[in-house]
Amino acid sequence: MGRLRRSRAHHARRDIHRAARTRARPARDLDQIQLIDLEPEKRSTLEAQPLNHELPGLGQHYCVECARYMETDAALQTHWKSKVHKRRCKQLREPAYTIEESERAAGLGREERRPTVRPAPEMERGTEMAVVP
Amino acid sequence: MRIEKCFFCSVSIYPGHGSAFVRNDSKVFRFCTSKCHKNFKMKRNPRKVRWTKAFRKAAGKEMTVDSTIDFEKRRNIPVRYDRELIQTTIKAMKRVGEIKKRREHAFWKNRMTIAKDKQRADRTKKLEAAKSSMMLIEPESRENGRVRIREKIKVAKARSALVQGEDRSMGMDLD
Repeated sequence: MGRLRRSRAHHARRDIHRAARTRARPARDLDQIQLIDLEPEKRSTLEAQPLNHELPGLGQHYCVECARYMETDAALQTHWKSKVHKRRCKQLREPAYTIEESERAAGLGREERRPTVRPAPEMERGTEMAVVP
Repeated sequence: MRIEKCFFCSVSIYPGHGSAFVRNDSKVFRFCTSKCHKNFKMKRNPRKVRWTKAFRKAAGKEMTVDSTIDFEKRRNIPVRYDRELIQTTIKAMKRVGEIKKRREHAFWKNRMTIAKDKQRADRTKKLEAAKSSMMLIEPESRENGRVRIREKIKVAKARSALVQGEDRSMGMDLD
């Protein structure tokens, strides 16, 4: 009798590999929630979504802070009282880390706004660079 | 060619190095090494990880407000090539670099003197606290306390059968 088929024996390892992918992330990151979702207009649209048959609870019970859909209103109420939700709210209270901040930390600033009229840009730039404190 | 900055540790990433992650809202996260990439996947906040530039800036360990920092900027305006301009720019870059280095050193020195003073004050405080706590403990007096007297008791020496002599020893020789 030969060896029986033994593929898919290491599925646990497969799952670990899949979980370690960068793209295996929750729906929204903290900076997205803080800078976009928590805006009052966006928040109201997220909380009053149209019926969607593919989402849990038809997409009617959504927690904006945690970016999660609940099955029922009762579940949402208990979630709001939970430790997970409170921890998330605490994380959202401090300003989110963004790409701009990483560049600022490296000493790379950003031009705040583009000048609409540029009178003789070459001259202006030359003087700007020459002036050293 | 553009030199990017690492999202996690803010190190410069030269072309052909590092990796990038594009989120589904088209934001590009660049990483210098797999170490930074892994830390990002672990959802760590670079502001709280001590070896990152973001931490050092946030914790006041490096200069944040200085005129020499304001020169390096992402200006999204194309500049027409001009030999003179490039020359002056390169000259200015070198000079700014020198000034920046000197200022950073001064900043570090100032930080260290403050830290040293703080450390010294802390040490004297601790020493005084130790001294005062020593005063509170009363030393044990010998007069009023029970003093153990150790008496010497004589014990007869046990005689061993193995010791030679006194007709008790066991010899190996035959009679």
